[in-house]
Amino acid sequence: MRKTGLYLLLLPGVLFLTLFMVIPIVMTIASTFYQDGSFTIQGYLQFLTDAYFLKIMLTTLQVSLVTTIACVLIGFPAAYYISKLGPRKKGILLALAIFPLLTSSVVRSFSWMIILGKKGLLNSSLLAIGLIDKPLEILYTPTAMMIGLIHLFLPLIIITLVGVMENIDPDLLKAAESLGASKLTAFWKVIVPLSVPGLIIGSILVFVGSLTAYTTPALLGGKQRVISTFLYQNAITLNDWHLASVIATIMIVITFVVIYFMNKLATKLNPKG
Amino acid sequence: MALLTLDNVSVAYDNQYILQNFNLNIEKGQLISLLGPSGCGKTTTLRLIAGFLEAKDGRFMFEGKDYTRVPVNKRNFGFVFQSYALFPHLSVFDNVAFGLRLRKINETEVKTRVQQILEVVSLGGYEKRFPKELSGGQRQRVAIARALVIQPDLLLFDEPLSNLDANLRINMRVEIRRIQQELGITTVYVSHDQEECFSISDQVAIMNKGVIEQLDDPATIFKYPKTEFIARFIGFTNFIDFAERTEQNGEIGLRVGDHHFTASKNPGTANPSGKKCAMRPDDLLVTTEESAELGMNRLRGTVKVSTFLGRSYQYVVETELGDFTVNQEMETPYKTGLNVNLLFPKDKVVLVD
Amino acid sequence: MQEKNRGLALFTSLVFLFLLGPLIIISFTSFEPGSVLKFPPEGFSWRWYENIFNVEMFMTTFKTSMFVSLFGNLLALLLGIPAAYALSRFDFRGKGILNGIFISPVLIPGIVMGFAMLKYVIVVYNLPIYAGLLVGHTVLMLPFIIRVIASSLSNFDFAIEEAALSLGAGRLETFFKVVLPNIRSGIIAAILIAFLESFNNVDISVFMTGPGVSTLPIQMLTYVENNFDPTIAAISVLLMILTAILMFIIERLMGLSYFTKR
Repeated sequence: MRKTGLYLLLLPGVLFLTLFMVIPIVMTIASTFYQDGSFTIQGYLQFLTDAYFLKIMLTTLQVSLVTTIACVLIGFPAAYYISKLGPRKKGILLALAIFPLLTSSVVRSFSWMIILGKKGLLNSSLLAIGLIDKPLEILYTPTAMMIGLIHLFLPLIIITLVGVMENIDPDLLKAAESLGASKLTAFWKVIVPLSVPGLIIGSILVFVGSLTAYTTPALLGGKQRVISTFLYQNAITLNDWHLASVIATIMIVITFVVIYFMNKLATKLNPKG
Repeated sequence: MALLTLDNVSVAYDNQYILQNFNLNIEKGQLISLLGPSGCGKTTTLRLIAGFLEAKDGRFMFEGKDYTRVPVNKRNFGFVFQSYALFPHLSVFDNVAFGLRLRKINETEVKTRVQQILEVVSLGGYEKRFPKELSGGQRQRVAIARALVIQPDLLLFDEPLSNLDANLRINMRVEIRRIQQELGITTVYVSHDQEECFSISDQVAIMNKGVIEQLDDPATIFKYPKTEFIARFIGFTNFIDFAERTEQNGEIGLRVGDHHFTASKNPGTANPSGKKCAMRPDDLLVTTEESAELGMNRLRGTVKVSTFLGRSYQYVVETELGDFTVNQEMETPYKTGLNVNLLFPKDKVVLVD
Repeated sequence: MQEKNRGLALFTSLVFLFLLGPLIIISFTSFEPGSVLKFPPEGFSWRWYENIFNVEMFMTTFKTSMFVSLFGNLLALLLGIPAAYALSRFDFRGKGILNGIFISPVLIPGIVMGFAMLKYVIVVYNLPIYAGLLVGHTVLMLPFIIRVIASSLSNFDFAIEEAALSLGAGRLETFFKVVLPNIRSGIIAAILIAFLESFNNVDISVFMTGPGVSTLPIQMLTYVENNFDPTIAAISVLLMILTAILMFIIERLMGLSYFTKR
């Protein structure tokens, strides 16, 4: 295989991505340091000193963190149960977890509008059984966003963990038990540590995903902004492209920092070294 | 003139030479094996001949024409792969017909020729099967048929039997030899299994570190290896490095320290620079008798290890010139620690580089 | 021990109720005869399904979505198949970096990508919005195409390719006659996975709207802002059916292990 042939295969894709992705992204980042032809970090200073912006940042991080923790706590036992099933049942449950993942996020967030709304399923049921006497205000709050995001990302962490847990040799558990460990101890000492890489990858996906999700906060968050809806608002509604670019850059930086450190952590915690 | 000539060929990956100034001539109609440990360059040589690799320097001549830059698909060589490399999506018939159809041969003739060649490899009736429905041996036959049907100018085998079990391997190598001789097709065969190579080849080239150390017919290599590497490779375990070599009374005199040996003149001692004596364990004798025997070199030693091998005993004898391994058939074995004489028949001595 | 398993089973059932319940509820409400979304519905009617076809914007944006997802898919295949092949087949310097570039569209937040494309593809390069949408979706699909095809090439014995070459086939001929037929199911799966990613995309499309140009998910978002009738529920049901069919085909072609591996 001559070198030229190799380049011919790769060049179209590389050119296309360079032109339509790399340059726009790099230029967007670069543009945050220039305003009216001179170097500036005014955009960042403005962002970091404005209480409103910081509150949005904080809400976003809070929502993402709670979502991630909830997904791990709910997803881990479920994934463990699925991974122990026979191939047929496992296949069906995996398919049922993958289906929502492939379903439009608009559909999935919208379904929660029906449930969480003022006259939604949740409120009408609670009112009917007399648990509350006036409707709860859940929709258009951070809580609604979290519920929507957990619903959005729970399948992701479940299937990631099943993928990892499937590959844990069941003889390891038996070996641990034969050495005197109880089932629960064996679970904590064998399954949990061996699942750490999957857990970290899953957590990265959920955390970064929640941090940057747009549809769910846009539909369920109401006036409550998160960083992605704030970016959209500045770009489209307020037409402040400089600030929008600053937000975009901050999002990229956060994403890559999270991925980088979680990967480091994964390598460090991986019991297989 | 040779059918195929590799003339000072070099191949390198990442500036690391696999072959450097490599030379090889192959005569028409012969089956020549390239034998050697992994990493010796045998597969590289084969892939170079096939055209999968390009030489950095040197020339590759075939039938007097320069093939160095001829692309693989214009060479008309048949290649049989270790993994068989059958087309999984095609039936046996379509696999074998693949090369013929590329040559735009009309479908009636394709049919006749495929049938014919499937008979040759004893696979008549298997046309409609798919590769995954065949056993390993059958797949290998399809692979051979596919390579043969295009009437290649040269047939190349890359470790074709290494994925088969031992019995099948012996059957298949007889089969390969039969087909090769029946069709009189020049063949290059790569393997790391010496028994396989020796049993089917007209000529064996033993390779080491990108160089052919010896190219001879199998019997010659077996009896008279030219280098220590080859001698070890084919089962010589005992070596004595002599300091001095002289010729006297039509025999060769060898000396190291106070030890004097003689060796008969034969092809194994013809190498004028050879001063290292190589002996097979089967050719040495251990004895407790002190009387001089005719035609024997003698060395004193002590039995260090004695192992029962079934038909014979194996001894490791410790001497001033190092340890020697001897296989000897006998009723009652010598005990460990016994002082013995080690006898080296002078007509069995082989001198290597 | 049995008890603990029963507890886990119950827990897992609740998890799946949480995951699938909302989708089931939305399906029921789509048959509501009245004009306000209710659960349980007060009757049965196809009314809102009919309404989908009466709202012209749904039809137009559906066509746009289809065109962008299918044609973008084709572009991504043309760019992605050669790249996936080169990256799986050969070892060369800079391979890691190239791999990174081809996978990066999934790492960069979608909303950031959408904004950057609006800024440069639409405004600076001055492409029409429709073309920008197409380009954006092609970029979006490319990593999925490359990843799925590369994973199906990783099971391919490249000696098979050499066999074809040695039998006299040219490089291109070999690719079409030997490589392509053997990774066909991988390619189809790649097309379907990329299609779903593109068809459901909001993050990029939301920036690429203009006079008469928008995709179906964006139109759904806009509609929800102003109406709360069951039309969206009806569309959702149709989208879920489409998703289920495509997922079934993907499962047949290459199993679901692609989704569990990361």
